[in-house]
Amino acid sequence: MTTRSTRSPRRRTVVALGVVLIVLCAFVIRLVDIQVVNAQENIDNAMSHGLSTTKVLAGTRGEIVDDDGTPLAVGTLSYTCQFSPNIVRTLTLHDTDGKEVKVTWDEMSQKIAEITGQNVDDLRTVVSDALVDNPKSQYAPLAKDLTTEQYRKITALGADYVACSPKAARTYPNGAVAGNLIGFMNAEGKPGAGLEDQYNQCLTPTDGKLTFQNGKDGVIIPGTETETPADDGGTLKLTIDADLQWYMQQLAEQATKEMGAQYATITVLDVKTHKLKAAAEYPTVDPNNYDAKGSFLNSHIFNSQFEPGSTFKGITAATLIDTGAATPTSTAEVPWVKHFSNGAVVNDAFRHGVSNYTLAGALMDSSNVGASIFSERTSVKTRYEYLKKFGIGDGSAIHFLGETNGIVHSYQDWDNQMRYDTSYGQGLTTTVPELLTAYQALIDGGVKYPIQLVDSCTKADGTVVTPTLPKAERVISEKTSAQMREIFENVALQSNSYADMVKIPGYRLGVKTGTGQIAENGHYKSGVYYTTMIGFAPADDPQYLIAVTLDEPTKVRSSTANAPTFVKAMTQVLKTYRVMPTTTKPTMLPKFG
Amino acid sequence: MSSQAATARPLSAPSGRPQSRPERRLRALELPAFRRRPRLLYGLVAVAAALGIVGAQMVLSVMSTQSSYELARLNSQHHELTLQKQVLDDELTGLSSPQYLAANASALGMVVDKTPSYLRLSDGKILGAQKAASSKSAITLGKGSVANELIADTPLVTDPEATIQGDEKQTTSTTENVTPVPVTDGLPTVRTH
Repeated sequence: MTTRSTRSPRRRTVVALGVVLIVLCAFVIRLVDIQVVNAQENIDNAMSHGLSTTKVLAGTRGEIVDDDGTPLAVGTLSYTCQFSPNIVRTLTLHDTDGKEVKVTWDEMSQKIAEITGQNVDDLRTVVSDALVDNPKSQYAPLAKDLTTEQYRKITALGADYVACSPKAARTYPNGAVAGNLIGFMNAEGKPGAGLEDQYNQCLTPTDGKLTFQNGKDGVIIPGTETETPADDGGTLKLTIDADLQWYMQQLAEQATKEMGAQYATITVLDVKTHKLKAAAEYPTVDPNNYDAKGSFLNSHIFNSQFEPGSTFKGITAATLIDTGAATPTSTAEVPWVKHFSNGAVVNDAFRHGVSNYTLAGALMDSSNVGASIFSERTSVKTRYEYLKKFGIGDGSAIHFLGETNGIVHSYQDWDNQMRYDTSYGQGLTTTVPELLTAYQALIDGGVKYPIQLVDSCTKADGTVVTPTLPKAERVISEKTSAQMREIFENVALQSNSYADMVKIPGYRLGVKTGTGQIAENGHYKSGVYYTTMIGFAPADDPQYLIAVTLDEPTKVRSSTANAPTFVKAMTQVLKTYRVMPTTTKPTMLPKFG
Repeated sequence: MSSQAATARPLSAPSGRPQSRPERRLRALELPAFRRRPRLLYGLVAVAAALGIVGAQMVLSVMSTQSSYELARLNSQHHELTLQKQVLDDELTGLSSPQYLAANASALGMVVDKTPSYLRLSDGKILGAQKAASSKSAITLGKGSVANELIADTPLVTDPEATIQGDEKQTTSTTENVTPVPVTDGLPTVRTH
């Protein structure tokens, strides 16, 4: 079929087609190179010529909420406004009817001053000073930290020489409630203390950005936006109940003032969940106004240690009972001053003849000599090991910012006096969280659990991060714990100094007090003490454990000073959590043998 | 290309015919004009389609530009509403605080009972102190000792003459609208534009 006449045009066609294809391929390759391979580079190159605008999409700092979600710290916006003095002039504006009105600088500055609450003369001076310095000045500060309402009023004035920009701010709706725990955000927007600082990583947002090209009228050109959304900060959920916390703080202030103390703390632990429901103290801080006079920016609960005094007789008694060295009804001859054979001297806070105290009785009357004599029934090594097992000196699993640990010297370093002092809480120090942890183990079955202040951090994408907690450890047997509950209940019923004060009708309570000496420059302060009352209810099945501490009460100098506050605190807790009154009767233990 | 193919066919046709019917060497050529008419129709269709596409493109472009203006308007409305929400939020923060609640309760003469009693519904027995509350509160409620700067100057709902500090009301424009407006005709709306 192929003849000479047909071959020639066909070859031409094929050649032409081939050339077209090659050129087409070249174009396609180049197109792919521009549009796909080097696309980003080319776009960036184009955008660098001022074609695009990038806007930072600010994420919001996460909230701090209490156990039922009540916000304690929220992110909000404040506004900073400034003048451009170089264009300050009489403005021609349109009123609501569309008529033209002239507004002079004098009138405008008057209106602005009314909104911001500043002195109008100051405003005018700021602008005129800026113009004197530099006639082309584009900046003079107007005001900062303006509210949204003020910002809206200012923008509504229509003055083109005023510009405002928003700034992330922090508001604490409940003021000083849990102020010492939460901390605050300082003027630079950085966390200043407390949980704001400790959990900054959870709360900090990640900024996003919006890149777009806009037309002359500022409208975004369709299809040119690329958005990287901002990630808001996580929500930090505490175990604290805001209402209860407020009540306890009010009570702490009252206790401090009524007793003429330096400071007071009231801490409430839910025994079943090991979560703190309130950690109140006075003095405190309103994070909305943290540099106000009298603000205390740290937390005495977590950042202070103290010599506990007689609350540690509970640990000594538990050690003796758990090792089988004594029972609650074991007896000893106890004088009010005892000179031990090794030279140590111990005396009681009250005078009495030689009494045949039971172990329980020694705790009821809080006899130092009694605790010292009973402590001889076990070795110092065992007592030291039990102190460590109860967690004394180890701080708490909360790891609060700057949390202090108690100090317990190794038993090999205990001198003749210290081997007795440690049995009634002298010669060592502890902290409120350590004391709560130890007592929780003492009264609730003998197992030590880590106590909690932070429940969880919920990230913006919904993932919930809970703090990693150390394992629970058995410290004493369940039987010893039950006996300790009985002893503490009998302390509340039969104490020689506060039995009539520690009473809540319808409920069974267990308590122990401590009056610790305060060391200063290597000596004990004279006549002033650090007093503690720790107690729980209901005594037969503990649900809440409360520690009330006072630093240097002067009206009543012993731990009896804490009793009225403890009772009020416990009453409120039982009421808040609807704990049913008990109908069972306590077992009475003999005080004397 | 198509015209080449069209001319090629009539040329090849005669070369095949003489083999089958050698007796007839001459015959009338088919009329090429008959084939030209559909080509015009195709052309018209193609041009119309091209115009249609261009037209649709323009309409779509106008619409997307239009909707980008709509989008811009809605964005600014959204911004405006966000600001309004912020203003209202600012006014409300602090009002839910326990301090404000307690101060309001105290202004009504309420106290915290020192020794609460409980009524057991099953047998009607009263548990606890079995006494009426005394006039003295377990803790002071009125004075805001647990400070809250947000509501320091906010008048109380239950006693508009007083603030949480117990002072006489300090009239400022920012706190005036905090007292609730009685709802007479449905929910009040914000009159802003």
